[in-house]
Amino acid sequence: MRSSPELRPNFWDALVALAVVLLAAGCGFAVWGGQNGAAALTAVVSVDGVETERLVLADTGETERTVESNGYTLCLRLTETEVWVEEADCPTQDCVHTGHISRSGQSIVCLPARVIITLEGGQPVDNGVDIVVG
Amino acid sequence: MKLTTKQLTLCGILTTLALALSVAENQIPLSLAIPIPGIKLGLANIVTVFALYVLGPGQAMLILLARCLLGAVFAGNMNALLFSLLGGVTAMIVMILLSRSRRLSVYGVSIGGAAAHNCGQIAAAVLTLGNTAPLYYLPVLLGVALFTGALTGTVAACLFRALAHTDLMKG
Repeated sequence: MRSSPELRPNFWDALVALAVVLLAAGCGFAVWGGQNGAAALTAVVSVDGVETERLVLADTGETERTVESNGYTLCLRLTETEVWVEEADCPTQDCVHTGHISRSGQSIVCLPARVIITLEGGQPVDNGVDIVVG
Repeated sequence: MKLTTKQLTLCGILTTLALALSVAENQIPLSLAIPIPGIKLGLANIVTVFALYVLGPGQAMLILLARCLLGAVFAGNMNALLFSLLGGVTAMIVMILLSRSRRLSVYGVSIGGAAAHNCGQIAAAVLTLGNTAPLYYLPVLLGVALFTGALTGTVAACLFRALAHTDLMKG
């Protein structure tokens, strides 16, 4: 045994936990705060880091889009208020499980297909924080 | 690095254990409850924490690298290698530094490691996608890391208590 560790949580562990909470809060403020509330709610589709499509939800109405990338196909559905991935043939299915997004700043990421759908603009986010823990 | 037969054997067993834990935790559908890519319990981190204290940083790093490489081979997904390597190595470095502080218990080291692992994985996602959108997940992942880190810390603490009087801990 190189060194016997402390086995009871103490004050210093609480400091580490606090540092993680502060980092999460700071990061949350950076990515969720300061949204631009001027433009209409827009779904931005990026493939492999390159923006391929901008869809203003209010204008497009209910519609479907097929996004093909990296050998995978994502079936995207849009309404005037929300976006979701209806179906995808990627192995992880995280994009489908993410479900519906409807607020500015939210995004759906499909890592295998390297597709990102992000919502921009729209009304200022009234509660940008989903949950507060700790 | 010169290893004794006992150390080498222990490294092998711990690598196997870490791989088995990774496979086992894939059966726990945590991503259904919190649908975020990369969310998991991080049970393999128990092995890393254990190896760090019992075998030292060098061998713990060897186990980690072997685990990441073999894990990617077994999964047949070399894209995942960058994610597990960046996450794992970031966690390892943070835990080595934190464990040097004699004041921190395994809980603090484990929570720091879990948080660092998430930061590393998000960094890998940002690099792979060439887009900062994955940063959106980081606050939630860090919040979850508090709980998963505390969980793996608890298991590691139980492990150290249970093995306190064995030869393993004196080797």
